[in-house]
Amino acid sequence: MKVGVVVQRYGTDVGGGAELHARYIAEHVARHAEVRVLTTCARDYVTWRNEFPVGIESVNGVAVERFPVAKERDAEDFGRRSTHVFTRQHSLHDELEWLDSEGPLSPRLIERVAAARDEFDHLLVFTARYYHAYHAARAVPDRAILVPTAERDPALGLGLFAPVFRGVRAIMYNSPEERASIQAVSSNDHVPGVIVGVGSDIPQDVDAARARRAFAFDGPYVVYVGRIDANKGCAELFDFFARYVNGHSAPPLLVLIGTRVLEIPAHPRIRHLGFVDDADKFDVIAAASALIMPSYYESLSMVALEAWALGTPVIANARCDVLLGQCLRSNGGLYYRTEQEFAGVMDRILDDPDLAGTLGRNGRDYFDRHYSWPVIEGKYLDMFARLTAAPPTHRMEPVPGWLARRRRTLAPATDVVAGLPTGPAMDTAAPRGAIA
Amino acid sequence: MAMDHSQHGRRGGHYNNRSRRGGGADRRGRDRPQAPTAEQAPRTERVDVEQIMREIRGRISQRSGVDLSNQQIQELAARRLEAVLDPRSIKPGLLDELRRSAGERPSQPEPATAQPPLFDEVLLYDSPNGLLRFLRKLLNPILRLLINPTPIAHALAVQGRLHAEAATRAADQERRQAEWNALHYEILQRLVRESARGSLEAESLAHRVESLGAKVDFNDRRVRGLEGTQVRVPRQTDASTPAVAIPGPTPTATQSSTPIPEEPGTPPAEGQSTPGSDGTRRRRRRRRGRRGAGIAAGPPMEGAPIASSTTPGETDADEGFDQEPGDDQEFEEVPLEARSPAPAGEPTTPEPEPPQAALPPGEPTPGSHEE
Repeated sequence: MKVGVVVQRYGTDVGGGAELHARYIAEHVARHAEVRVLTTCARDYVTWRNEFPVGIESVNGVAVERFPVAKERDAEDFGRRSTHVFTRQHSLHDELEWLDSEGPLSPRLIERVAAARDEFDHLLVFTARYYHAYHAARAVPDRAILVPTAERDPALGLGLFAPVFRGVRAIMYNSPEERASIQAVSSNDHVPGVIVGVGSDIPQDVDAARARRAFAFDGPYVVYVGRIDANKGCAELFDFFARYVNGHSAPPLLVLIGTRVLEIPAHPRIRHLGFVDDADKFDVIAAASALIMPSYYESLSMVALEAWALGTPVIANARCDVLLGQCLRSNGGLYYRTEQEFAGVMDRILDDPDLAGTLGRNGRDYFDRHYSWPVIEGKYLDMFARLTAAPPTHRMEPVPGWLARRRRTLAPATDVVAGLPTGPAMDTAAPRGAIA
Repeated sequence: MAMDHSQHGRRGGHYNNRSRRGGGADRRGRDRPQAPTAEQAPRTERVDVEQIMREIRGRISQRSGVDLSNQQIQELAARRLEAVLDPRSIKPGLLDELRRSAGERPSQPEPATAQPPLFDEVLLYDSPNGLLRFLRKLLNPILRLLINPTPIAHALAVQGRLHAEAATRAADQERRQAEWNALHYEILQRLVRESARGSLEAESLAHRVESLGAKVDFNDRRVRGLEGTQVRVPRQTDASTPAVAIPGPTPTATQSSTPIPEEPGTPPAEGQSTPGSDGTRRRRRRRRGRRGAGIAAGPPMEGAPIASSTTPGETDADEGFDQEPGDDQEFEEVPLEARSPAPAGEPTTPEPEPPQAALPPGEPTPGSHEE
């Protein structure tokens, strides 16, 4: 069996959840099949500048073919087009231009994918919202297994993605919430799909005491891991945390790990460690009282799963359906919507080590049951076997004609997303219901 | 989401078997809490985050005293802000302007693309009409015989440059002013919101203080009532039993060390000392202190044998309330049925009416106004 992986960026030093997800899947599927990755030469997702050399290389034993990006992203143009399609009535042509503007614009990658129709048994196409995924899925719909990694952001409401969700051979969802959103936006119940997610390579020698020694942590702390960005809810986190520690005689520390995009307030109880290697990251998470995930939009949150794998409870932003759903399903974390709830949750976790331990153990059990590598690999292999055994029962809808593409009939994407069902999906087989 | 027992068993086993993925060592490190014991595991694993969140929200509601959401508090604060920035006393429309400017990013000054061309002497003779331009050029030497246009052109050029600089400065000032306005509005809004929140909390705390005060008052009366019934015990029991004696450290010590007047209402002879332990003396002092000096100095009254049985010397020295550990406990040792005049079937009814003689003068007592 030969499996292709199509992804926007690829490399051991490439940051980003979806890219890491793709690499982990490629490396683990490679134990059961021949895997080849088709990707671009870009390293930076903002500009898509060509930084890797064109050609074939091996990354952790997986063959990787890189194709150049024809045009870097023009941030101003992309911003203007985004505003247009997200907030105004528009046409499919506008959306296609938005997609070109978003990138990574690599026609050679798409040509390669189209030419590889008979070369691969299955093509895993990552991250639905990008140019490469849209065109790759349309080029080989009967082989394309989409891994959407879709968040509840306005891009999900764009009309051009619905036919892709309906036309690919199968979809590997990250969470029940993601599946519910995609099914609501595209009515693709007929497309085979399974909720998989991704595992994590937790090192065996994680040592919480080592982190305390190395970083001189002398008291309880909570940790945030990820890009320190207002889009990730960090501004709200800083605000809530600063107010929380003001009323405490022995306040905890907020430890930040990740690249700084947002200015970090100069607060004595906030400490930024910068970008640390994986060993330190896992040590710090293991020694923390809790991991905080303040993000409003997540399709999976690998770092939350890693925390649970280490037995650390999670404090999540309840406005993110996926995180809320994970907390409820795992009984491994608490959540907050308001500043008062944030303070209450922090108090509860820090003041009650028994509860924190129980939540952490529940989280670890949840991780083992759903996100351990044997489970993940098994789901992928099952899907490959299922698709190989049965011929495709549906086809990709063709792109509308020249005139139809220019009719301004599509609603603003934000309006579409606002109309999607909200709340965590507690029962993976049943429609969702909102949970207060 | 409660876990069933089968899961607990499986989970507990897995949790203890760290070698599966952790290579034998606890990945959380040595300073993490250890795994629960077999007895603890089923109890601790059963946790429902929804229930915990309900408890946390309940506590938040209790603490704030009012069941207002953040949104409602903000709306309340917005109304207060309207009151603070009374539109009648300030420039009409200013509030809207501030609110708008707070929500918008301050506009950047326009780049100086429309810079007027530098004024020079050539412009003086320029014209779109070619013939006119030719005539001016032809007659230019004659003009120069009459006046010197160069300083005029220079002055105009300087003036144009100054105008451009002033315009840039004005735009910059306007931008900064807009930023300040936004900042001030934001600060003001936050202050009003916090003050609204604070006043709500203060109101809630005042209610709680009032409630706690009422409880303290109630308990105080109850204690007095119990003390009052305590002193009535000898009248209801056999005179030969040492019921009047306050229970001491041990019943034996009490019986042997406390003198029992033959008639409860009869004061002891003047100068009679009370043999007994220090503890007994202290208890008597405390009780007398609670009742005030008036009782000890007053005439012996029915139902007040302890007050009347104290020695005069003690009265002067021990006016205070010397609370000691275990003071309350000594009253608890006497069964309520024996102390309370209430029927035995109603042991938890409100405190019995304390006898009038047991209260200090001026102390408001239930039913005192009826006398």
